[in-house]
Amino acid sequence: MSSATVAAPSRAPGRAPNRIGRMLRSDGSARLASYVFLLVLWQLISLYEERFPPPAEVFGFLWTEVTGGSHGGIVRGEFWEHFAATLPRFAIGIAISMLLGVLAGVLIGGSKAAEALLKDTLLMLVALPAIIWAFLTQMWLGLGDYAVVITTFLSAFPFVAVNVVQGIQAVPRDLRRMSGAFHIAGYRRLRHLLLPAVAGYLFAGLRFAVIIGWNAVLLGEWFSSSEGVGWRSRYWYDANRYQGFVAWVIAFIAFIVLLDRLVLVRLQRRAFRWRDAQLSDMERRAEEIDVAVAGA
Amino acid sequence: MATLQVEHLNKTFPAIERGSGPTTAIDDLTFEIGGNVFVSVVGPSGCGKSTLLNIVSGIETATRGSVTVSQDGRPARLGYVFQEPRLLPWRTVDQNMRYVLDGEDARGRAEEYLRMVGLRDSGDKFPGQLSGGMQQRVGIARAFAVEPDLLLMDEPFSHLDAITARSLREQLQEIWTKAKKTVLFVTHDIAEAVQLSNRVLILAPGGRLYADVPIELPYPRRASDRAVAMAQAELLGRFETMQEEADAADVADVAS
Repeated sequence: MSSATVAAPSRAPGRAPNRIGRMLRSDGSARLASYVFLLVLWQLISLYEERFPPPAEVFGFLWTEVTGGSHGGIVRGEFWEHFAATLPRFAIGIAISMLLGVLAGVLIGGSKAAEALLKDTLLMLVALPAIIWAFLTQMWLGLGDYAVVITTFLSAFPFVAVNVVQGIQAVPRDLRRMSGAFHIAGYRRLRHLLLPAVAGYLFAGLRFAVIIGWNAVLLGEWFSSSEGVGWRSRYWYDANRYQGFVAWVIAFIAFIVLLDRLVLVRLQRRAFRWRDAQLSDMERRAEEIDVAVAGA
Repeated sequence: MATLQVEHLNKTFPAIERGSGPTTAIDDLTFEIGGNVFVSVVGPSGCGKSTLLNIVSGIETATRGSVTVSQDGRPARLGYVFQEPRLLPWRTVDQNMRYVLDGEDARGRAEEYLRMVGLRDSGDKFPGQLSGGMQQRVGIARAFAVEPDLLLMDEPFSHLDAITARSLREQLQEIWTKAKKTVLFVTHDIAEAVQLSNRVLILAPGGRLYADVPIELPYPRRASDRAVAMAQAELLGRFETMQEEADAADVADVAS
């Protein structure tokens, strides 16, 4: 213990430049600084370019939309209604992508024949942009939920499948042989060997699916719906209310960032507890060594 | 107790490179083990020791001959300890044990065998939080916990430091005398084979059976026991003779 207190002062220099440096390096304040910078830049550009609505106008519009205030005339803000229309479509599209993506990934990753047959098709699907599906589904299915959900599914699915294929192929051979030697098969093998080994890849797939799928659901609504976040963005775009359009862009970017930070990152951390446990043990050992060295 | 019968076993691998002939890993090997015995297979590297284990466990198939593992007429249950621990890194020690265990008493057996290897309190840890020796002990506990009729061990101490390996050898004897299993143990370390086994099979290069030596010493055997040291020295002598003969045969081959 006494050796730890000896080591402490040398690690905590009180000079001011270091304090600012440390503050900038800290996650929260660095992020805040980047937001402030973007806002200032935006404000500056809007001063010289009149088709670039200034931040105050955009956020004011967003406020009216969120609180259901009047946009002038009979048009009122409808923020929550459109999110409520979009979210189920998004959720169903992502759920189907995950389900079929995992199934396809396990099939292709687990069988040489299926891989030879389907891998190129999968790569082609990855290369197809969401807007193509938005056009095609509108052509095939017209306006409505189906076109939007299917656009979301078709755009997100290949990313899940590709990641799962990679994950399945990365399952350690040693552990597969061990499971074989103990005759572990079926559900138990899936749950304790395959899924955890694939989990990292599956999470990468899920994050891709969420981002690509969100992009796709908005495009789908832009072309094939008369409600929802994508449709509302288009509504203001068509009405030449650029501040309205940009306000919705801000809203749906904020949504995806929050979803990623608040849900996905936490989920991922939970799934990788085993790796963190190992890491914190190593860190503890490293610290013990530090203390021992400082004491010597 | 299980019986393992190996009859005229032959395993040949096809040529890897063009121009070289096929490689014989095991050549006309015949032996039988049964009952509460600890049998080691020793030999220089490349003599087919691991191949033998792989064939017994069914990972590889024989080119000719047969291997039968039976237990009162039914197929025997096998346990396996590998060179590396081969634990699921994302599951706790306890979950790793229960991964291979069936039945209602799985939890109880997992605890019982962890206690036997001295890891009763590590059930909640992840493998990455344990030292290499502790991980290998979990591997050993896992193999014993399935209560196998035949336990296969493939150089389980070769990746550990000498001190850890020495203490695990003593623990293994303790567990084995308690659990009473048929063990087939593969190693390249003659001293280890003598210390642990009732019987040592020496394989020559090319996979022939060179000698079948009983070791009749009481357990537990410590590496420092005089009798053990003498038996080790004697077997080492036979092993060296075998290698000299093999080298002489090679020279004769080249000369002819």
